[in-house]
Amino acid sequence: MIELLTGMVATALLAGGVLLLGALGEVIAERAGVFNLGVEGLMAIGGITGIIAVAHGAPALFGMLCAMLTGAAFGCVFAASVVLLRANQTLCGLALTVSGGGLAAAVGQSYSGHPAAAVFASVHIPILSALPLFGRAVFSQNPIVYVIWIVLPLALHALLFRTRWGISLRAVGEDPAAADASGVHVLRVQFAAVVAGAALAGAAGGFLTLGYITSWSDGITGGRGWIVIALVIFGGFKPLNIALGALLFGLITALGFVGQARDWPVPPAFLSMLPYLATIACMIVTPFLVRRKRSRFLAPAALGVPYFPEQR
Amino acid sequence: MLNIQKFFGSFFQKRTALFLVAPAIGVWPLFASRVLSIAAALLLGGIVFALCGYDAARLASDVVSASFGNVFGLEDLGLIWSPMILTGLAAAVALRIGLWNIGGEGQFYAGAMAAAWVGLHVQAPGGVALLLMALAGFVAGAAWILVPALARAWLAVDEIITTLLLNFVAVLLVTYVCTGPMRDPANAVTAASAHIPYEIPPLLDELHWGFAVSVVLVACVALLFGRTVWGYEVRVAGANRHAAAYAGMRVRRRIMEVFLLSGGLAGLAGMLEVAGTVHRLEAGISNNFGYLGIMVAALAGASPLAVLPASLLLAVLLNAGIVLQSYGVSKYAVLALTGLVLLGAAVGERLAYYRLAPTLAKLR
Repeated sequence: MIELLTGMVATALLAGGVLLLGALGEVIAERAGVFNLGVEGLMAIGGITGIIAVAHGAPALFGMLCAMLTGAAFGCVFAASVVLLRANQTLCGLALTVSGGGLAAAVGQSYSGHPAAAVFASVHIPILSALPLFGRAVFSQNPIVYVIWIVLPLALHALLFRTRWGISLRAVGEDPAAADASGVHVLRVQFAAVVAGAALAGAAGGFLTLGYITSWSDGITGGRGWIVIALVIFGGFKPLNIALGALLFGLITALGFVGQARDWPVPPAFLSMLPYLATIACMIVTPFLVRRKRSRFLAPAALGVPYFPEQR
Repeated sequence: MLNIQKFFGSFFQKRTALFLVAPAIGVWPLFASRVLSIAAALLLGGIVFALCGYDAARLASDVVSASFGNVFGLEDLGLIWSPMILTGLAAAVALRIGLWNIGGEGQFYAGAMAAAWVGLHVQAPGGVALLLMALAGFVAGAAWILVPALARAWLAVDEIITTLLLNFVAVLLVTYVCTGPMRDPANAVTAASAHIPYEIPPLLDELHWGFAVSVVLVACVALLFGRTVWGYEVRVAGANRHAAAYAGMRVRRRIMEVFLLSGGLAGLAGMLEVAGTVHRLEAGISNNFGYLGIMVAALAGASPLAVLPASLLLAVLLNAGIVLQSYGVSKYAVLALTGLVLLGAAVGERLAYYRLAPTLAKLR
């Protein structure tokens, strides 16, 4: 039983880490009022970029950096469309998902099915990994895992809720006209937030192919980009809550794997459905939570609404 | 009294004075922007292909001749056109009330699965069996969207994510059914069900009556939305939910009805594909028709009649994917191209609102 649980936690940190990285990116964009539905496409692009980079001899960390930069580049295209030109965010997000997934699959044709040339190696932290129960599962991961689970959520929380920069960003997402009047350059903040978010989505793809699954195949993202968007809503647009939610989703994914490995009397297809069904269940539960806690978990007021300075 | 908006407006004009955003535009500028932006996106895609070392002009002429060059090509085009008419119509119906049904792919699979089950288990004269299959497909598609529809109507849960995630569930379910309970024991190679004894009669050589049914359904839905009180209420609820509720319209009920119709249409597309083209249930039966349907609806701007040309465009693009494969390019490259077309359409729609500043001043 203990073995089962520790195995689950080890997988959950990897599977949930991919979701958390993407969700932290998405929350930056959504806090600035831009709804980026293209996470799935950005993750696919990041994933194949990472695979190609390591195939050309780069170390895994550099591969993930390349994934991040490619994500940012595609984020620039998206931001130019929805922030500068104010095109429909839903349409552009869907376009990014479709074209990103198609592009990644087309480029990645010759890399499909091969293991990644370099992956993140796991590091045993001396004393901590010898701790009983979860010591081995939690402290023998690759170092990026700690960055994703500890450094990034805390840093983003501090950035959003404890700095001047964060209050500008949130003001833009709540009431861009008021932010504009108080001297915040709305479009510049939104552009930066979208690009930063896209960079993290690309990095999530790189982590998926170099740190978690460690190979490339068509449709490897498998809806993770959409679960990420649900996770942001489920986590009430707060980085720390999102981290807890990502852990929950990671554990649910791991539960499916454990079931397959242990030959539970459920067909594997149904175990693979778990993350999707759990996400839908969470989305249906969230409104009840929001109603109880009033406005603290609500979406930014101007989320998805393009801002026209001249119509202020 | 000082009109603050006008005051700042004039200030803004002094600052930029090059472009201004028109408050509203007519149908024709929108149509022109749509055509221009699609052309621009295709041109951009062609340039990328040319930069990658392919002969883009020959590729384009190959695609056109493969699609329109002869009767066989036209019939094949019709075979991939008709499911996209229905999946596109399904998404367009939901857009009418301002909501997105991204789950057409899942509803397509659900409809195909239910229709295949009925086709394999029901003993009836051909016509009756086909009608039962169509009914099963419609009901299964509607059932597949039931939970997202309820969540949207009563809890305001984002329908984009819930409908989309059910796609993955449907794909897993159909793959399971094709390798397990419904697997053809005589066929050990592919994951597919046995041959279904009931076939939709052909309209021409290969093209079956499903195509005609799809086109007639487009006309019916256009009439439903354009000429009935129900359609009017849906449109008002789509434009402003609160105003519709204030006027006494039952918005939640309309959302449910529209979503169930939308899911049903996508399910019916799955039934037609099973009964008319594939004649059995396969793991990958949908060929992305559900996802392409979303793009059809987005290009058609939620107008049922515009679904016909929009789905034709995407059918030709899907054909382009098949031609591309003969060039050694992945068929997924065409998905990237469709995404580019969608992005172009979204940007073009917004650009149509921009006017050179002096023109707008004259209009005032």
